[in-house]
Amino acid sequence: VSRRVYRALLRLYPREFRARFGRDLEYDAQDMLRDRGAIRGWARLLIDLARAIVPAHRHARVARRHTVQRFGHEEGSMGSLLFDLRHACRTLVKAPVFTAVTILTLALGIGANSAIFSLVNAVLLRPTGYEQPERLMLIYEGIPRAKLSKMTVSPPDYLDLTAYQRSFSAIGAYRGQLYELSGGAEPEMIQAARITAGVFPILGVQPMLGRGFLASEEQPGHTVVILGHGLWQRRFAGRLDVLGQTITLDRRPYTIVGVMPASFQFPKRGPQRNGEPAALWTPLSFAPFEREARGMMYNHSVIGRLRDGLTPEQAAAEVSALAPRIQRNYPAVILQSGFSIVMSAEPLLEEIAGEVRRPLLILLGAVGLVLLIACANVANLVLSRAVTRQREIGVRAALGAGRWRLAQLLLTESVVLAGAGGILGVLIGHWTVRAMPTVIATSLPGVEDVTLDLRVVAFALAISALTAVVFGIMPLLAGDRRDLNESLRDGSTRATSGRRQHRVQGGLVVSSVAFAVLLLVGAGLLIRSFNTLMAVDTGVRSARVLTAQVALPPATYTNAAAVRPFYQNLYDRVRAIPGVRAASIATDVPLRPDGERRAFTADRADDTGGPPASTAVTWIHGDYFRSYGIPLIKGRTFLPDEIDQDRRVAIVSRAMADQSWPGQDPIGKRIKWGGRPSQAPWMTVVGVAGDVVDGKLGEEPVVHIYAPFVESADIRVQTPVMPLLRRMVIATLADGEPATLVDGVRRAVASLDPALAVSDVATLTEIVADASAPQRFSTMVLGAFAGGALLLAAVGLYGVMAFGVAQRTREFGVRFALGATRRDVVALILRQGMTLALIGAVLGLAGAFVATRLMTTLLYETSAFDPLTFAVVPVLLVTVALVACYVPARRAARVEPMTALRTE
Amino acid sequence: MAPTPQPPTAQALTPAVFHILLALADGPLHGYAIMQAVEQSAGSDVRMGPGTIYGSLQRMEEAGLVRELPSRRDDRRRLFTLQPAGRRALASEAQRLARLADLVRARRLLPGDA
Repeated sequence: VSRRVYRALLRLYPREFRARFGRDLEYDAQDMLRDRGAIRGWARLLIDLARAIVPAHRHARVARRHTVQRFGHEEGSMGSLLFDLRHACRTLVKAPVFTAVTILTLALGIGANSAIFSLVNAVLLRPTGYEQPERLMLIYEGIPRAKLSKMTVSPPDYLDLTAYQRSFSAIGAYRGQLYELSGGAEPEMIQAARITAGVFPILGVQPMLGRGFLASEEQPGHTVVILGHGLWQRRFAGRLDVLGQTITLDRRPYTIVGVMPASFQFPKRGPQRNGEPAALWTPLSFAPFEREARGMMYNHSVIGRLRDGLTPEQAAAEVSALAPRIQRNYPAVILQSGFSIVMSAEPLLEEIAGEVRRPLLILLGAVGLVLLIACANVANLVLSRAVTRQREIGVRAALGAGRWRLAQLLLTESVVLAGAGGILGVLIGHWTVRAMPTVIATSLPGVEDVTLDLRVVAFALAISALTAVVFGIMPLLAGDRRDLNESLRDGSTRATSGRRQHRVQGGLVVSSVAFAVLLLVGAGLLIRSFNTLMAVDTGVRSARVLTAQVALPPATYTNAAAVRPFYQNLYDRVRAIPGVRAASIATDVPLRPDGERRAFTADRADDTGGPPASTAVTWIHGDYFRSYGIPLIKGRTFLPDEIDQDRRVAIVSRAMADQSWPGQDPIGKRIKWGGRPSQAPWMTVVGVAGDVVDGKLGEEPVVHIYAPFVESADIRVQTPVMPLLRRMVIATLADGEPATLVDGVRRAVASLDPALAVSDVATLTEIVADASAPQRFSTMVLGAFAGGALLLAAVGLYGVMAFGVAQRTREFGVRFALGATRRDVVALILRQGMTLALIGAVLGLAGAFVATRLMTTLLYETSAFDPLTFAVVPVLLVTVALVACYVPARRAARVEPMTALRTE
Repeated sequence: MAPTPQPPTAQALTPAVFHILLALADGPLHGYAIMQAVEQSAGSDVRMGPGTIYGSLQRMEEAGLVRELPSRRDDRRRLFTLQPAGRRALASEAQRLARLADLVRARRLLPGDA
């Protein structure tokens, strides 16, 4: 028994040691136990064993290394990993092109995947930071007769909802607001949200410091504020004693009562209105007139948390059933014209991600294809290389290396490749993610907090590594030992498992070409659509226009008598800046959908008595049409006295004229605000302006009325509630570069009020670019992917052809010897390469016919089967494929027959 | 703390190596015999078991101090013998120790040295 035990223990020694001294050790142990008895004998043996093992292993390792240096290979064990790694690195460095191409391919695949998936993750999958966000819903109103199906909610309707609804455990309201934040180095405009006390509890988020808002603070006059984490860090350096201190918003002191945690963001981007993340929150209160504002002020987002046990569908049904009940509370004067409202509720998560879900999923699909192509390429590269090394492997096998040992070596190389590719890929992904927010600006919700998702990185890495590994040891698994010996006898340039391998490689090339074609078609369609979109007339001439905004705080500019002269003076000063050709001050910027909308009535003979139509309104001061380059189609612009004094005139957009007075001359016609019963005075149309895109490019032009700022009602100018007419946009048309006017505009503002913040400084060109940012982003990314895919497919094709040519040197030599011309050989190679490319292209086009249907909603006036795209892509691919095949073909043609035959 | 006294020559052998060389000085021995001889010559100063003995022999073989005697039969125990370099190393170490002993004796450091 003891002998067997000791023999088992001897396995702890290195193999070489055991082989040499095993028998002697056993003899010695026997003697020892005989001489000293079992207990003392065993004690000695065990102590000896413990002392001897480590030095013996160290010795064995040194000895192995010597052997390897002398004989080039070793019979190792798993303990020789370090050796394998060093060996792999050395081998790879000796094949720099193969190594570089493989690593770059892997890096591209992994990097692109990680970046895009992280983006998708951030926007679609990332938790909102709210408690059970799938239980949160937003409630909307709609006015069917005005073709408005999804508006935010008016104060009285919100109050009715709180009283009537039963589906939600609580509902709250909020709306975005810009404040002038002063007291720091520079006054600045800061995005805030006004929220009811219930909003934070509904979201299930507690302040990190202090408290949330109290129900009592929903009464007007409570100047308290909760800071966001970022602002707290920036303005107060994260000090814990901020509670009770004040900050100055719109020149009034607000007491800080709480600070929200760092991860908290509210509102989230995504919804059409009130979707700007806030840096601070103030209580939302309703003034008496707001509580009565039926049919107006549809600008409050309403959020609710579902009562336990109710589904979102049930809640949505209840909400829509409440609409008639709330409608009955509207005054008769509104209802008599056939006015009605509808209500709906949508899950918050849908609202956050809804619009961008499809483009992102398509990008995800695209990046998945790129990864597949990358994998196919890596497989091809590694396969080719394994075959060229058949002889080396044969030598190793002949010297006694076992199959497992050979696999280990190849495996280590694959792991090194995958590791290097992975590291580079993660870096690429990291840089891409870092660059993302600046590239796509605000077009995607939640994009400011994209971080590289480690699970994604791990996934992409695993896929690529698996590819490298599987294809790396495939030749070894496929062939057997006899093959390896064959390869020794056979000469260096002939593969043994050639035919099957060729088929695998051909298949890989065909599939990567097919994927590339699919991507190219997708990108082609987007590019076509984008070009069409860019060709859309925005209605403005965007060159050389600079815009900037100022907002007058109600605390200082308490009434219209203070607001109006300020803007009149500002206009005069801006107009006097050298280099300004034309200037204006107005309530909104073209291409931004945030202007005012009002109901109006057109005076017309055939009035059928429907509900009032809705229109965008811009109140203007100065030379508005000239400063934005909006053409005047009929009539005239406002005369100086119409700008300065209330003459009850208006200019309408072409769409407005066509809609209100089809086929008639609109000049001299009359319009008024509100419905037919409205007491508002009539205004006379003096001109028709060209249509201007208001909001999204590619949408129908909205009807638009332009009226002099002087005509706006004093009550509306001075209300602190709707800061529409206190927040104005300065536009200047420059003689030269518009950016040179920035300082002048800032000085003009400061000369009137040094404490006033100038915000949103942007050229009109930038604003136009912003409006097309989502499409630009999709097009750019998919275009980049398609380009990358084409490149990868070409590299794959080239690799396989070049490899085939190198392998068949002798065959070409024989062909030449038998009378083939160089042209014959070039044609042979091209035919083989192009066959693969064409099969791939056909499969890719077939796939594209099916897949591009998913893109229909992304395309602007472009068919998913756009013939041009479907024609250009194969031509492009064939061209690239020809180049990729021609280079190796030329090399084959240059083979010297005698050299080729002698290489054996 | 007093500085550790340096031995007179730098090339001191480790006790284990010295005692193995000493054991082989009278002729070739197998592992177990070496172990017993070391035990006798070194007492409890050097404790060696089979594993440590063979480890040392391996290293000494590489250093050219000892070699294994070729054996015709497989079941025989491996015998080890001194190489000329081993004999020289043993001799010089013995001299060194003798000088050391003289030095010690001259200073009368050992009890019983009058």
